[in-house]
Amino acid sequence: MTALRTIAVGFDGSPDADTAARWAFELAVQVDAEVILVHAVGLIEHTKRQSVVAVLEDSVRTLIDEGGIEPPRVRLHVADGDACSVLLRATDAPINADLLVVGSRGQGAHAGMLLGSTSLELAEHSTIPLVIVPATRDPE
Amino acid sequence: MLFLNGPTDDSGHEEPGHPERPDRITAVKAGVDDLHLGSDLVIVPQYSATRAQLSRVHEGTYLDQLGVFCYEGGGDIDEDTYATYDSWSIAQYAAGGGLAVIDALRRYNDGVGFIAARPPGHHALRDRAMGFCLLNNVAVAAASLTSEGERVLIVDWDVHHGNGTQAIFWNDPNVLYVSTHEWPLFPGSGIAQEVGGTNALGLTVNLPLPPGATGDIVRRALDEVAAPVIDAFEPTWVLVSAGFDAHRADPMADLALSSGDFAALARTVAGFAPGPGRLALFLEGGYDLGALRSSVAATLSTLLGSSYQPKSATTGGPGGDMVNRMRDERLVALRQAQEVASSEEPSR
Repeated sequence: MTALRTIAVGFDGSPDADTAARWAFELAVQVDAEVILVHAVGLIEHTKRQSVVAVLEDSVRTLIDEGGIEPPRVRLHVADGDACSVLLRATDAPINADLLVVGSRGQGAHAGMLLGSTSLELAEHSTIPLVIVPATRDPE
Repeated sequence: MLFLNGPTDDSGHEEPGHPERPDRITAVKAGVDDLHLGSDLVIVPQYSATRAQLSRVHEGTYLDQLGVFCYEGGGDIDEDTYATYDSWSIAQYAAGGGLAVIDALRRYNDGVGFIAARPPGHHALRDRAMGFCLLNNVAVAAASLTSEGERVLIVDWDVHHGNGTQAIFWNDPNVLYVSTHEWPLFPGSGIAQEVGGTNALGLTVNLPLPPGATGDIVRRALDEVAAPVIDAFEPTWVLVSAGFDAHRADPMADLALSSGDFAALARTVAGFAPGPGRLALFLEGGYDLGALRSSVAATLSTLLGSSYQPKSATTGGPGGDMVNRMRDERLVALRQAQEVASSEEPSR
């Protein structure tokens, strides 16, 4: 089994992506790995890319503050593309991920499994291990 | 002669504030009107693609799910793509437009076809909607042609890579897919090393261009990298995924083409057609309405020989060095794929 050095997390700013990031932070602290939060810029987001990145950077800072992880161990990677394609390419440079982590429902899951689920498609095509972190559930 | 197909009413496929909107068709029709074609304009009646015709390129379960999703009122499919109650019907007409136009071109054995329909199609995969696209309109037409023994060249000059079309015909030896597009950009696919599947090695030609690239670079890539492959393929039909979002005014991307560049591209692509009545263009992207109108007029004017004067073609942008590189990268990838394919052939 290869050493776990780099964990790529699908990060679209949704609560479920935050949950996945927190889970990845905990794992990274245990195994001394780096976490790269990967955001795919879609067609419409491309037109407001700078403001989207600024919001995501704020979210990352908040997660780092809450997560008890050393800030240098976490970075944000933004790439134009379909979320699935971008995450599948996380195995290549410059990310070179050893593990993919995604939330079970991202912002892109509006129509659920009917018309395409990123996590299901990753499960089918990923060449590295994939962890799907269940959505946060209200204990009530 | 222009054989034009488009919606009589596509107002039901709209989401407030979304850039893929009915006004786009209004702009396209204005571009056609600017040419004053008179009796050279033939309106091809709407035609709704049948399930059998759609099933050549889409999985049945996907068609069922999309139909039900719309019937139940629709909604957002992903952060870019939406459907409404009316979208299923409108998308079927968009997918059938190419079939109707090809039928007309065959009857006249002359002219040029233009399917000015929406939603666009080239991102739609066999089993998934994405990138504003529900059904892959150009693929439905190409698959119909290949089912009758034709060899189809698809030139995709939309600024985004047509990942859906590429995937659908990845392993089809009767379809040559050539795409010029900005890279990196949505959907993230379309590098030069993607050359086709085992049964169609070399029949995917991707020409990725950097932001700011001008029309001369796009034409160089087509002339120097794609044209030899097209000549060897000897297409019997040429279909164009004609997006106009590579225009410098378009908000969705960062290439720097003018309407004159689309005229020049049209001239190049028309040269790939084997004869009259074998060229049809399908509207894909294009979201700045003024640029869309002028680019459509410039494109069709070139193909029809009318006197419309577009803006000058552009030159001098970045990417010239990439043309040689994409040709080299493509050749290396092709050689490697051929070696893998031959090593996997069963020994006698």
